[in-house]
Amino acid sequence: MTDLPRIASLEATGPAVARARGWRGRVRPRAAGRVWLVVWVVALAWSLSSFLGEDHRVLNTAGWGAFTEFWAAAARPDLSADLLRATVEAAATTLAFGVLGTLLSVLVGIVVAPFMSQTWWAPATASGPSRLLRAGGLLLSRAAVALPRGVHEAVWGLLLVSVLGRDPLVGVLAIAIPFGAITAKVYSELLDEADRAPYELLREAGAGRVTALAYGLLPSLLPGATSYAFYRFECSIRSAVILGMIGAGGLGLQLTLAFQGLQYAQVWTAIYALLVLGALIDRWGAHLRRGRARGRWAVSGVLLAVLVAGSVWHLAPDLERWFSGRTLELLSRLLDDLVPPSLPAGGWSELVAASVETLQMSVVAISLAAVAGLLVATVAARGGTSPPRRVLGWAARQLLLLTRAVPPPVWALLVLFVVFPGPLPGAIALGVYTFGILGRLFAEVVEDLDQGPREVLAELGAPPLASFAYAVVPAAVGRLLAYSLYRWEVTARETVIVGVVGAGGLGRLLEQQRAGFDYPAMTTTVLALVAVCLLVDLLSLAVRATTR
Amino acid sequence: MSAGPGSEGAAVVALRGVDVSYAGSAGGPALQGVDLVVRAGERVALVGPSGAGKSTLLRLCTGAVRPDRGEVEVLGRSLSGLGAAELAAVRRRIGTIHQRLHLVGRLRVVHNVNAGRLGRWSTWEALSSLVRPRETQAARAALSRTGIADKLMARTDELSGGEQQRVALARVLVQDPDLVLADEPVSSLDPARADEVLRLLCETVATPSRALVVSLHDFDLAVRRCDRVVGLREGRVVFDRPAAEAGELREALYLLERG
Amino acid sequence: MSHLPARAVIALVPVLALLAGCGADDSSAGGDNATLRISAIPDQDPAELTAREEALAEYLSSALDVEVEYVPVTDYAASVSLFRAGDLDTVFYGGLTGVQARLQTPGATLLAQRDIDAEFRSVFIANADTGIEPFDDVAGLTAFEDTRFTFGSESSTSGRLMPEYFLREAGVDSGSELSGRPGYSGSHDATIDLVEAGSYEGGALNVQVWEARTAAGTVDTDKVVEVFTTPPYSDYHWLGGPDLEDRFGAGFTEELRTALLELDGSTPEEQAVLERYGAGKLIPTDADSYERIEEIGRTLGLVS
Repeated sequence: MTDLPRIASLEATGPAVARARGWRGRVRPRAAGRVWLVVWVVALAWSLSSFLGEDHRVLNTAGWGAFTEFWAAAARPDLSADLLRATVEAAATTLAFGVLGTLLSVLVGIVVAPFMSQTWWAPATASGPSRLLRAGGLLLSRAAVALPRGVHEAVWGLLLVSVLGRDPLVGVLAIAIPFGAITAKVYSELLDEADRAPYELLREAGAGRVTALAYGLLPSLLPGATSYAFYRFECSIRSAVILGMIGAGGLGLQLTLAFQGLQYAQVWTAIYALLVLGALIDRWGAHLRRGRARGRWAVSGVLLAVLVAGSVWHLAPDLERWFSGRTLELLSRLLDDLVPPSLPAGGWSELVAASVETLQMSVVAISLAAVAGLLVATVAARGGTSPPRRVLGWAARQLLLLTRAVPPPVWALLVLFVVFPGPLPGAIALGVYTFGILGRLFAEVVEDLDQGPREVLAELGAPPLASFAYAVVPAAVGRLLAYSLYRWEVTARETVIVGVVGAGGLGRLLEQQRAGFDYPAMTTTVLALVAVCLLVDLLSLAVRATTR
Repeated sequence: MSAGPGSEGAAVVALRGVDVSYAGSAGGPALQGVDLVVRAGERVALVGPSGAGKSTLLRLCTGAVRPDRGEVEVLGRSLSGLGAAELAAVRRRIGTIHQRLHLVGRLRVVHNVNAGRLGRWSTWEALSSLVRPRETQAARAALSRTGIADKLMARTDELSGGEQQRVALARVLVQDPDLVLADEPVSSLDPARADEVLRLLCETVATPSRALVVSLHDFDLAVRRCDRVVGLREGRVVFDRPAAEAGELREALYLLERG
Repeated sequence: MSHLPARAVIALVPVLALLAGCGADDSSAGGDNATLRISAIPDQDPAELTAREEALAEYLSSALDVEVEYVPVTDYAASVSLFRAGDLDTVFYGGLTGVQARLQTPGATLLAQRDIDAEFRSVFIANADTGIEPFDDVAGLTAFEDTRFTFGSESSTSGRLMPEYFLREAGVDSGSELSGRPGYSGSHDATIDLVEAGSYEGGALNVQVWEARTAAGTVDTDKVVEVFTTPPYSDYHWLGGPDLEDRFGAGFTEELRTALLELDGSTPEEQAVLERYGAGKLIPTDADSYERIEEIGRTLGLVS
């Protein structure tokens, strides 16, 4: 298993076994799909209507000038030597955070995954009380990663800053804590799904546990595990940019400072740097997943090793700080501040209202992303034959790259020029960003489709749109839906980072509490966000089960 | 070898001195000096070992492959000078069946059958049919001819392999083509099923104005179900006989291959 | 695609060279204790802020004979957290952030303030389309009822705390009596731009930034108008961290305070620094000046 969309979707909740069985053979209530569709449309309409202000005005035409000014600056980025030097250095910082964050995540994943796998806790041979005990252990271990994973990288970053200060390890850890948890979860699923026959065979033949693991299990795990690690790397880079915006440095910081100063030419320099970085990593990842050149893993391995060494050198983390009494003191102070949690100033009603708003924002954002993603992905999918089709495909891929390379807070600031403030611009910004990510996953799904049915229809003279509707949409819709639902949960968590523009929901609440250093209430808000994400996760699991 | 027997109907397919070679392929030309005429009402089997050029010949007829030399005429039009729109008009009248059925599993049977109509429907008609199926009577009639009328509203990926094959045949039936091209349609089926499918395939061209060209591995099946058997080897037509006379030629076709 | 490894290697070589190169340059940033790290809350255009703080850094460096480095931060709360974690030695805080930082960091000392800070003010601005006319009394702030209104940063004294205080005094509850919830633009400059663009109908900000922008002509006064200037209050000031004496020797806090207070414009260089701060000179300050801010902060839930 090395293709990107499948690997990404391993992150979704739900036991691996249920997915593998595919719910086939069970009575499938077909009506349920329609019911969910209706529920979704109603939820979307409700969310949108509650976002419209009392005066029902959405577009602010007066801000159009500033908006176009921003886009016009795309043609003339600031290319002065000083800024270029700073940009390259910032790119190096962002890259270094991404590299080290991924490395640490993968290490955590490798160490923790066995303890989260079903095979570890509940082997088929277990029976009676020991079985119960082990099932409990499995549940516990999965629950233990839910919290680190449920808290957004940016929130980890903000908490860690108050303990580790300006140490670059803040950025690395902020990435590695949530990503390590999710990597452990995915690796445990890979472990559970792996074919264990060769391992058992070696064990029966008298091989030691480690030997059997190395020869019998590892080879089949490696491609999937490596592909996922690379996917995490791409995510880490995006997170490093966001962490940069809240102070970790790098391209995110440069982007924020330029935007705050309304220096659009400089903003575009940073955006182009993000595009180049994103495109390089995309190509590298695509090459690893799809390329056939022998030794590609070896070459990439060496490259990564060099990158890791370079990153450590570049960031120069101050390990002394880890063991200093002051760090310990700050940590215990932070923990003291955080627990016990307390309700926000507005009480339960404020918390519930903010949670509902977060849910609404995620619904609007993912709807926008999925619909736009589907439309653009079909154009962006490789495999076009005519030259205009190829040019169009290239342009679509660049659009997707741009929308996911620019972090959501920047989109939010931009949308704020033309859409009146409130949760709506925040949701639109998240939607635009998620569109870039989903559109790319969608494009890969479309590329991987069996082209036979479409060609047959084209041969018998079907109009292009009709053959698309008959051959491509039905074949792809299941996976597209699965990825959209998986991404919905991520989007709910990311609502927290568009709080900067006074977008609504729990992100805004958290931002207010942070300004007042109200740590106990922050804990509650973060827990509420974890709960909302869990709810979204369960909902998407239910939808996937009935529409498969 | 010139055009074979059966000269009463109009020519549906006419190949004259056709050469085809694939760029970069290591072997010789895919087809060399092929002359072949298929007339209305004929059911022609192409037989021969793998790589003999059967698929290439079928692809020539749909315009998917262009000849290096010679002329290809299908349904009265010479394909060489046709623009995209004119070629599409010809293709609309050709039904194709592949070894792989190319059905869309998640669609209901009725839509997969109606896909045969897409060449004649406007985009709007095609899209609206996905919501409220059109011309279900024709689809049901086609399915009852292939023996699975009761599956009209079933989801295609819930059918058995044999039933799916019948859906693919029904798709060709509703397309109502003047020429049916089938490329190894039965190579993965057991003998009894293969015979049944070929029978149904021959029925799709039961009216005298239509023709069927089918490539087959099974020589006996070709002789039993078709009117004419054309033997191909290494890109050349080795023989072209009425089915009744072809039986003795099997040796000639396969013997040399072993040498 | 199959040529990618080679291409990837080539593409990454400069990046790697850079990672290594920058690392070497950067090694002093982490643990070198001889550097005085100064900072300021990011309340305005980062380019101007950097120029201002670097000018101060240069002055302090020559006055105290130590290395001085300006550390930019991206938001107010992070600046307080970093001060508390001991990563910033001297910070030019706003009234509220100064109180927050002092309460959270035992041993932090007040160093000085600008002459203008003792009697600082905020201005309320409005988009011209709202038709709100200038007024002289706090009670006039009711004009902002049911308008889309933005503050600056959540932790800003002149952009949020005091304006919210005066709005309350006029009987306007920012939580329920504006149109929708109030926005937090992030900085004073952003507040001007958003009100000018019409995204918000009204806003409040630091009088000094408003005057600088109008004087520089970077505000379209046909689109955005000043409607009210608040009564005065104490605002910005410098805080020194608790580690100063440990790191730079006994008596360093006092030396630093003196250096700041001696910044009186007696040389052209000092003149230039003060000009960037919009001040005539720096003056002593004490904790009493910020008691009112602390109190308001508590009622607004910003100080706990």
